[in-house]
This record gives sequence, structure tokens and C-alpha cells, in this order.
Amino acid sequence: MDQMKVSTAAVRASGLSRQYGATKALDNVDLTLERGITGLLGPNGAGKTTLLSILATVNEPDAGQVSVFGLDPRDGAERVEIRRRLGYLPQELGYHRHFTVAGFLDYIAILKEITDRRRRADEVARVLAAIGLESRARTRIRALSGGMRQRLGIAQSLLGEPELLILDEPTAGLDPEQRLRFRELLSDLPVDPVIVLSTHQADDIAAICPKVVVLLQGQVRFSGTPAELAATAASRVWAADERDPRAHLSWRGGDSRWRHVGDQPPDGAEFVQPTVEDGYLLLSHAAGQR
Amino acid sequence: MTSQSVDPAGARPPVAWAGPPVAGAGAPVAWADGHASEHLLASYAAGTVETVVLWSVEAHLTGCARCRSALSAQVDAGRLARNRSALLVRVALPRQGRGRRLLGRCGVPDYLIDLVAATPSLRRSWLLSVLGVLAVVAGEAATVRYGWVRAGGQLGQARPADAEVLAPFLLVAPLLVLAGVAAAFLPAFDPACRLAVAAPFSGVRLLLVRAVSALAAALVPVIAAAFVVPGPGWLPVALLLPSLALCTFALAAATVMDPRAAAVTAAVLWALPALLLAAAHVPLKIVQPDAQWACAVVIFAAAVVLWLRHDRFEWGWTR
Repeated sequence: MDQMKVSTAAVRASGLSRQYGATKALDNVDLTLERGITGLLGPNGAGKTTLLSILATVNEPDAGQVSVFGLDPRDGAERVEIRRRLGYLPQELGYHRHFTVAGFLDYIAILKEITDRRRRADEVARVLAAIGLESRARTRIRALSGGMRQRLGIAQSLLGEPELLILDEPTAGLDPEQRLRFRELLSDLPVDPVIVLSTHQADDIAAICPKVVVLLQGQVRFSGTPAELAATAASRVWAADERDPRAHLSWRGGDSRWRHVGDQPPDGAEFVQPTVEDGYLLLSHAAGQR
Repeated sequence: MTSQSVDPAGARPPVAWAGPPVAGAGAPVAWADGHASEHLLASYAAGTVETVVLWSVEAHLTGCARCRSALSAQVDAGRLARNRSALLVRVALPRQGRGRRLLGRCGVPDYLIDLVAATPSLRRSWLLSVLGVLAVVAGEAATVRYGWVRAGGQLGQARPADAEVLAPFLLVAPLLVLAGVAAAFLPAFDPACRLAVAAPFSGVRLLLVRAVSALAAALVPVIAAAFVVPGPGWLPVALLLPSLALCTFALAAATVMDPRAAAVTAAVLWALPALLLAAAHVPLKIVQPDAQWACAVVIFAAAVVLWLRHDRFEWGWTR
């Protein structure tokens, strides 16, 4: 906690680069994370997973520095200290399929150094209740549906009340009700952790993230509040009765009128209130033009 | 965390309901018309009635459906849910079996036993396949040997020509041990390896716990089979160093190359000389003194490399 007061940002990354063969997954990325939820928005292959795995001390960057609560992951002891405060949901979390739900969480709790048997059982019960899977404690993982496995993955990330929660696409595979429950869960966490979650669902971002970072082709293209991201699309979203070919994207809305997103609105266009998604679409379109 | 524990029945603050039911004097009514009052049931549910009253309420509840249903309205649903999930988890966690108790008595911490439960080469299916392979090669050796030598030929005194029947066993036995250890440390066999990397538990420690338990689990059937196959009496002992050398070599090599390539290299380094010696009709040479010395040197060198480069395992396998 003392380290929190020393540096204003809990997590700081600067100049991160990472290359896989000829592909630049990350290109000179700077990022700071504060207490509260930061949403990482970007298409598939934008480098979200690489960035999160570097923050989770699983991957090493080719260049650049990371500081988590003032600790440097390159130092062995400090890296372990970071991992003690970390909850991580990887994008493709593998499961020991023969484990039961409780057995798997128990196993992860041991890896998180909760070695006392009683404390471990309490902790497993706590996260299972938080995610609403307690009646499935004895079910084998191979018998769970995809959505339940995803919830189990979220549950394991909550073990040990982490101060830094890194969630790679936590809402993938969740139905609308479970997504709402997930939002509720994040708001009800007992400690106020630093949370960073990646998603490609703009409505998740708008609903729960006070801060949003847009990652495109390995570079940070936007960093600010969801309202600011939506505002970047101001007077570039308009409605019309006919389809406008000058728009980058257009679709017919529920009111059977055409909604257009583009850089060249016609004269006298009927502008509509832009959303986070509109801002994101325009950003990614601009990136694609380069 | 304590709020999550199952509330023990004994740990309650005593005496809120003093004395027998008294009407008037401002005291809340405990019993009315032969039934427990709402107030009494609330105190009972909260666990704040004194022991004697507790007994009488309990005795009454067993025979009175009306009070039982009135009681359920008084129970704190949140606490009930917490207790329920804690109990469900307790029941779902691995039990204290005989093997566990034995290991515990040998000083193995409880959590380490739970940890190795995730090692594939300790699962029943894996051990059964090891036994199957051993049965085939040992059975083959025994059949051929006893087919050649008339009844009365003594076990343990294999003549040089007879040693040839051991070739398949000598080739396979240490490789089975290597396979068991490789399955314990190759990331391909640990679906949750990314979580293990991001967890504070030391990667080296996890690796060693798994490797040693897999080594022990594989050595038991291999050595037992070495006693059974028709061969020299020292054969079981002679298999120890080569098996250990292969495993330590694979682990050490994994610190400088891809772990899969390391395991394959170790297997080839055993299989190639074993096959060549078998072709030269002297398969036993692979476990005779010269080879034992070579194995000892390999173990020493591998131990040095592991000591110097063990940090490599802390980052995980992703690089």
C-alpha cells in the first residue's frame, strides 16, 4: 500500500515492444493503470493478449519496461511479489478436464500459496459463491458448458483477493444475464483492485470502464474515458432515409432508417449522438487506411 | 475469511434468554399457546439462547411443524448460503485416503500431495499403460528365455547369448521413466500452465515436485519388472543410474532448448546406443560399468546446469 502512495499509477508500462517472427504484436506501447477498471478495446490480433500477458509476468517484452506497484518483473523476487498480488484470466485458459470444479480451484489456490487447507477451502467457497457455481463444486470440468468454464476461469482469478486483476476477454462465451452478473461482481469486489480487461464488445466498456484504451495494430490509438471516445465521433455519425455511399459503415437501424459512420457527412446531415462503438469504428477505420 | 467458515455450534455468546418463560414485567414472551414465540425463534436462529432453552426449543421443534416453518423465516439467508457453499466445497475436495495419510506421516506437506494430483504421469491410466508396456517386453524376454533353456535353467545366470532376449526391456525401461518425467514437466501436458506461470508458487519447485513424484511412480514398476525378467541379479540396481541420467539430462537440456526437443534428444541418446549394442549382440553393455560411469557424469553435469540455469523455469515456457 505504501508503494501506491509513492507512484501515482499502480501499473506503468513504457515503450513495450514484442515481435513474433515478422509480426509486430506490440509496437512501443505506453500504458498506465489506476485503481478501478480499464477497458482494453481492439480487434483480434491487435496485441491485447500479448500486452496483458506481459503485464501478468507470463511473457517478456523485447523492449520496454513494466512497473507493477513499483515492482520490476525482471527481478526474480519482485516478480514473485507481483504474482502474489495478481489475478490473471488468460484468453485460452486450459483446464485439467478430469478435475472437479472445487478441485481445480483448490489446485490453483495452492499455486497461489494458500497452503493452509481450511483457509483454502474457505477461499474456494468464497469465489464459487461470488460466481454462482457453488452447486457445481463436485462437477467435473469436462461436464461444464462453455459459459460455466468461463465463469470458473473468472473465479480462479479472484482467489486470494488480488490487487491487480488482469482479465483477457472475461465476457467471451457469457450470455447477457451472466454478463450483467459479471459487471455486478466486479463492482462488489471486497478490495478495490486495479482491473484491466480486454474485450471487443464496446457495450461492456461503456457500461463498466471509467477508462478505455484502444489498441490497434500493436499501438495505443486512444486513451481516455468512454465518453471521450464517443466524442471523437461527434458530427461523424448521421442518420438518413437512404444509404449514403460515402460512409465507411452504414446499417439499417431498428427504426428502419440508415445509420452512417464516416468522415464525410453530407451537407445538412442529421447528426445523431455517437456511441463508444462509433468512436472505436472510426479509429479502427483510420488505422486500416494507413 | 472467518465469516466464510462454517459457524461452529458451540461458539456462541451465552445467555440472552434467562430463566423460564415469565409473562409480564416487560420480558418478551417466549412461549404462547404451546408454541415458541417469534422472538424466541429469532434468538434461537441467531444462536443467542442459553443452553437449557436451546434444548427445550429443539425438543419442541422436532415435534412441531408449525414452529419449524416459522423458524425458517428467521434464518439469515446470507449466512445459510455461505455455510452451504463452504460445506459443498469441503465435500468436493479430495479426501484423506490411505496413501495420503502415509505420505503425510512421512513429512510430505498436505498441499504438495494435492499439487501433484495434476501430474498426468501419476494418473491411474498412465500407470496402467506403463504396466502394460512392461508386461509386453518383460513377458517377451521371459517367453523367449524359457523357450530356449530347458526346465532347471537358473534365473539370474543369463549366459551372454541369453542376454540378447533382454534387448527390448533394456531399450524400453528407462524410456518409460523418461516419458513419465517428461509428461510431468512438458507444458503440453499441463493445460493450465499459463496459470502456473503467473502464480507465485516457484516454477522450479513445482517442476521438481512433479518430476520427483513422476520419477518415483515410474521407477517402482520398472525396477519390479527388472526383478522378474530373466537377467543378471544386479539388473534392477543397474537401471537406476541410466533412468536418472535420462531425466536429469532432459530437464537440464530444457533450460537451453525447447522442452519437447530436450525430451526427444534424451530419448534418442538412450535409444541409439541401446539399439547399436543390441545389434552387436551385447545389449547388456548399456547398463554395465562403463555405461554406469557415463551416466554418473551426465547426472553430475546436468545437476550443475540445472543449478546454474534454474531461473529459466521461473519465467515459464513462453520464451
